[in-house]
Order: sequence, then structure tokens, then C-alpha cells
Amino acid sequence: MIEKLTSLFKGFRDWVEGNGPRPENEGMPPEAPPPLPFTLKPPTAHSARFHELTIRERRRLWLESYGGDLFSSLYVGIGILACVLFVFVLLAAVAELPPFGDPGNPANNEVVQRYVERGGRETGAQNIVAGMILDYRAFDTFGESVVLFTAAVCVLMLLSTVADDSSSRTAPCRFVQNSGLTALKPVQNSGLTALKPVQNSGLTALKPVQRDDAILRGVASLSIPIILLLGCAVVVEGHLSPGGGFSGGAILSAGLILCANAYGFDRVHRVFSERTFVRSSSGALLAYAVMKGWSFFSGANHIESGIPTGKVGNILSGGLILPLNICVGLVVAGTLYSFYALFSEGEI
Amino acid sequence: MIRLVLAAVLILPGLLALGAALLGVYRFSTMLNRVHAAAACDTLGALLVLLGLVVLSGWNGLSLKLLLTILFLWLSSPVASHLIVHAEVRTQPHLAQSCDLMEIDGQGKLREMALTTPNEEN
Repeated sequence: MIEKLTSLFKGFRDWVEGNGPRPENEGMPPEAPPPLPFTLKPPTAHSARFHELTIRERRRLWLESYGGDLFSSLYVGIGILACVLFVFVLLAAVAELPPFGDPGNPANNEVVQRYVERGGRETGAQNIVAGMILDYRAFDTFGESVVLFTAAVCVLMLLSTVADDSSSRTAPCRFVQNSGLTALKPVQNSGLTALKPVQNSGLTALKPVQRDDAILRGVASLSIPIILLLGCAVVVEGHLSPGGGFSGGAILSAGLILCANAYGFDRVHRVFSERTFVRSSSGALLAYAVMKGWSFFSGANHIESGIPTGKVGNILSGGLILPLNICVGLVVAGTLYSFYALFSEGEI
Repeated sequence: MIRLVLAAVLILPGLLALGAALLGVYRFSTMLNRVHAAAACDTLGALLVLLGLVVLSGWNGLSLKLLLTILFLWLSSPVASHLIVHAEVRTQPHLAQSCDLMEIDGQGKLREMALTTPNEEN
């Protein structure tokens, strides 16, 4: 019994470590792969004018290289069948939905009633959704912000090239060598258009890097202030109107990304460097945790929390919703922008 | 009724332009041609359709928002196409085989680009 268990465990360990056959196949003769229903020819080398061909010609080429009519017809037939089946499943699900607006629907329970009837008075937020996600369910929103922050930290750890020495500076694109069309190396500090053709890769006939794009800069100088202002307004007015930390933070990061594209990452570094990112994100999360922790603590122990809800409709109302929205907006804006900067530059 | 007819006169050509853009994206063979069709017709089509909607809704806050949408689309859509084309010109190694490449010299004049096609060496 014990021997059997040991051998099972050994087989499992071999399987996990990748040496030896899978445990269920142990002792069985290796099977020959089943014969293919069509002859597999090696793909013909794509000619240089391949990109000029129409889609139909490309399809013909593909069929000639990869298989016969059997495969293609099977593929198309199964694809159509799967699509039709999926459509039927979805339609059946829609047909099974309870009627819209029926008071007997399972979604209309006491939770919704409480939110609708007393949400404004209890949270002080005109926007009931903000009252829900940042007051009744603030813990959930906190988790979402932490998820975003953790993702940003992981990407920072994987892609950041700042702390390393100069030999590993091209770490995010270490497949640059010998890769033909994709052999583009991001140039430091020069934005989206800063793709420099790598030597000896078929791209030498291209123009040198043109760093300033007048069209993009003109439009960016018009729109960046509006975008940033709109982002701030959406964040700050989250408890009064649709919007809030997540959408406002996304708008803010879009403005930052546009600025980085048009004027280069140096320009953004002046207002938003890696230090600012780390401090603002972790500070916002800490502030969120402290504020909401106090709120939960006082609520659970039936103490007066001392947070005024204010008059519904004023900008200074809604208790903790306004500062929490600002915290979430900071985290989201920093995370989205740092994703972009890390993937394109390797540093924030 | 007059408003409806006016809106239809604006919206239907707009839809026609958008359909032409769609057709161009599928029918043209090279990427630059496709972007050309899509960018030009998109801008015109969006303008006409949104103007038709403005006519339908009359003068109110909604039409102001629609006008702002037109402004934003006219700012952003051509620039986006420009950047896409820029990226294509930078990264497509076989560009010279499908079109004539010109470059702008220091005086703003167009001249033929000096090409060293790497494929002929092999």
C-alpha cells in the first residue's frame, strides 16, 4: 500500500517537474500520433509582395500551404455551428429572464429598497451608485483598488529597468534580436512615435526618428488641459453626478498618456515621476484604509463616527465619499499611466 | 415634418459615407489605402450623422453635447489616423514596393527618398 503510494507520488513529482511520462501513461507503450486527415505541407515562404495580395488571394495561399478542402470546410462548418449554438443559448437565456420591472423579481429585495429609500439620507450622496460603492460596499471598492495597485507593483517589478545596470536596459524587449519586423527598440524618453529602426533588420530604409510631431502636439496642447480638468471634475463630483474615482482616474491617466506621447516622457516626469506614483498610490490606499477602517469600526460598535454627511447636493457632502473618490482616482490614474509607461519605456 | 426631412437629408449621406469607409477598409489591399478610406469617410460620416441628430433634437443641451462631440471627433480622429499611418511607415519594411516614398527635406520640398532595399541584397 505504502509502496504504491510512494510510486504514485514519485510519478506525480516527475510529472510536475517535467521529466518522465505522466503517471497514468506509465508502463504503457508510447502511442503513435494519429494520422492527419490531410497532407501537411510546409508553408510556402511569403513573398515580399505578400502584403499587397487581397484577402481572398491570401486565403487561397493559406489553403494551398496548409491543407485541403476537407479541413477548411470542417473548420467553417464547425465555426458556424458553434456560433449558431451560442446565439441560441444566449437567446434562450434572454427568454428565460424575468419580465422587466416586475416587483416580484428576485432582484427587488429589501437591499434595493433600503438603498433607494434611505440611501440619500444615510450616505449624503446624491449619486446613489457612489453611495453604494463607497459607503455601503466600500470594503469591496477597497479590494478593487488594492488589486489595481498590486497589478501595478507586479508590472513594475517585471518590467522596470531603472534599478538594473545599463547592460539589461533593454530587458522589456529582449526578443529584439533576429526578429525581423518586430525588431523595434523603444528609444528612451521619446514617446509613442519614438521607434528607431534597428540596424541590419530590413528597416534601414526608413527615416530617422522624428521626435516632434507637430500635428499631435497641436491637438495635445488644445486637449490636454480639458482632459485633465474633466478628469478632476469627474473625480470630485463623484457623489453628485455619474462618474467617480474609477472613471475620473481613467480620464486623468488618458491625459497623462497623451502628454507623454506628444511631448515625451520627460515632460510627464516633472509632475508624475516614479516617486510620485509610489507615494500617491500607497498614500491614497493607506488613507482609504484608515478612513474606512474608522468608519467600519465606529459603525460596528455603534459609536457616533463624527463624520458629517452634509446637505445632499452640495459639493461638500456625502461624508467620506469625496475623499474616498479622490483616493481611488489617484490609484487608478497612477496605475493606468504606469502600465503605459512601463510597457513602452521600461520605467515610469 | 420639415425637421425630419432635413435630418434625413443629413443622416442618410452620412450613413452612405460610413458605408463607403467600411467598403474601403475591406476592399483596399494595402494598409495605407485602407486608412485613407476609413479616416476620410469616418470624419465626414460622423459629422453628417451627428448634425442630423442635432437637427432632430433642436436647440437644447443635447444638441450642444452633440456639437461638442463633433468637435472632439474632428480633433481626435484625424490625429489618430495620422499616428497609425506614422507607425505603419516606420515599421513596414516592404513599404517601398507598394508605393512611392517621398520625404520632406529641410526647405519643405518633397523629394524622392533614397532607398536601399535590403531585400535585393539577399
